[in-house]
Amino acid sequence: MSESAVVQPAKKVRVRANIFQKIAENPVILKELRGRMRGRRAFIFLTIYLTVVSLFIGSIYAVLAAQSGVTQWDPSFRQTMGKVIFSSVVLFEFVMIAFIGPALTAGAITAERERQTYDLLRTTLLSAPALIFGKLGAACMYLFLLVLTALPIEALAFLLGGVGLEEIMISSLMLIVNIVFFCALGIFCSSFSKRTLTATVTSYSLILLSVLAMGLAYFILVYLFTSSYSGGSYNSVRQDFLSMILWLLTSTNSFAAAITSEAMLISNQTLFFGKAPSGNISILSPWILHVGLYSALTAIMVFISVLFVKRPDR
Amino acid sequence: MSTIIEIQGLCKQYGKRKAVDDVNMTVESGEIFGLVGPNGAGKTTTMRMLVTLLKPDRGQIRVGGYSIYNNPREVRRQIGFMPDSFGAYGDLTVQEYLDFFGACYSIAPAQRASLINDLLDLVDIGHRRDDMVDTLSTGLKQRLGLARVLIHDPSVLVLDEPASGLDPRARVEIRELLLEVARLGKTIIFSSHILADVAELCTRVAIMESGKLAALGALDQLTERVMPHRLLKISLLKEVDPANAQAALASYPGISAVRPQEGLGHAEWLSFEADFGGDDKALHAFLASMLQQGLPVIQFSQDTKNLEEVFMRTTKGIVS
Repeated sequence: MSESAVVQPAKKVRVRANIFQKIAENPVILKELRGRMRGRRAFIFLTIYLTVVSLFIGSIYAVLAAQSGVTQWDPSFRQTMGKVIFSSVVLFEFVMIAFIGPALTAGAITAERERQTYDLLRTTLLSAPALIFGKLGAACMYLFLLVLTALPIEALAFLLGGVGLEEIMISSLMLIVNIVFFCALGIFCSSFSKRTLTATVTSYSLILLSVLAMGLAYFILVYLFTSSYSGGSYNSVRQDFLSMILWLLTSTNSFAAAITSEAMLISNQTLFFGKAPSGNISILSPWILHVGLYSALTAIMVFISVLFVKRPDR
Repeated sequence: MSTIIEIQGLCKQYGKRKAVDDVNMTVESGEIFGLVGPNGAGKTTTMRMLVTLLKPDRGQIRVGGYSIYNNPREVRRQIGFMPDSFGAYGDLTVQEYLDFFGACYSIAPAQRASLINDLLDLVDIGHRRDDMVDTLSTGLKQRLGLARVLIHDPSVLVLDEPASGLDPRARVEIRELLLEVARLGKTIIFSSHILADVAELCTRVAIMESGKLAALGALDQLTERVMPHRLLKISLLKEVDPANAQAALASYPGISAVRPQEGLGHAEWLSFEADFGGDDKALHAFLASMLQQGLPVIQFSQDTKNLEEVFMRTTKGIVS
């Protein structure tokens, strides 16, 4: 056996250990979590959050049970109920992440400026990446906590059945990527804004604009797609092109990507590939592009934020 | 003493306004160096460039031999900076606040605990260690700020208006604390509008105006340069005629002018301000001959407002 073959796994272990060590040693994470979890505020917020989730799921269960004509012990009804509860909790968490993520991080840098601690931090040996990753890590950990605390409610779905392991894995992955993305968005806006209010408004405006723009583009494309069938002259190339654009648009939105991926999983029993709406070409399931796209955007936003923080005042 | 800070040809411009204009100076290791000047003179801008927060347009700054351009991290390691506003994390206790900044300077957790204890003892706020930072008074916050800048054992402390907003007692306490820190071998650069503090603490003073260095040197050197005479405060018992007393004082060698200070000081005294042009020996001889001639001297002192005089004569009141 060559020497490199022996050394390589040890290196990997060391790199992994270094990452965890760096997270544990990042002073910003500890400070942020200390501040966030101190006192009654965190406890009250968690209680309210879990009450809202419970009420939301309870009402869905009540409505479905009331509308159903079959007995609640019917296996197919239980499976449908399980799927609906699971999907509802996941979609609720997507909305919660999009709302809370930027709110947690839009003040990451601007609040330091406002409370006049930014200059103190910049004259220490704390690097710009450590500051950004510290802020990002602390906010993500808080959102992970919210998602984890909702797990017992989500577990109702597992009792009822109808939810596959792959659905749990994909939804968890998408939630994690969304948490990091929306927190990074807040930090990105905070890094170039002067005030927290400006950063918060910019973050939510970007989210709202992207949803509105995507929605508008989606409806236009659906109209073009359906109208090209009714005209008599069927253009397969155009249909394929429109399919691809629709697929791309679907992938840019967590909601749309999750629902479409779930639909593809149910109808085609496929996790990774499916047929485009035109039916001619195979496409990746939208969750894959969604995860890739959001991860890339997160990396870009974090990189730019580091650059903004790194540069001295001019 | 060796040079710890070198500033060469430093320039900073905001639009058309020159905030710092070709400033050259050096600070020796162990000095207490005062930076004074009217508002907008460029003191804070100079300090912010020194601590790597602001990029100069031109010029060079070296701290402990390290350039702010090539080794900003090493410069930060050498410097502890306290801005004119106290940056507080209201959601941390005093101990956590120092622990956080200790961690920011990569001090090992095991070392931090004992270091924090020592620093809290030094600035005398150990009894408030578990209190939230927001609950401290302005004076205690300044002490905590001083503990913070010392946490990584820097060789240079850069303090922007450390006594601003403090009551007289807190001001005196901070002054004492700075002297104690200086005794630890630290170099201290501080800006202040309170000239009495600067005169009392500083080994050398730089006076800035409109971004330029108007004067630089030890206080007595500056005084000699700007005021060729010493300003004396002389008070006599009212046993003598005021006009005769003034004439008698004016007749001594070295006295160039005598001004009566009516309405100032003790009601039973005759107070005069005199310009004296001699050295310490001549000053001693002047006092001795006054007593020999039977003048009822009750107070004889050299005016401590020298820096104020130097400041007023050096600056023109220009605000850039």
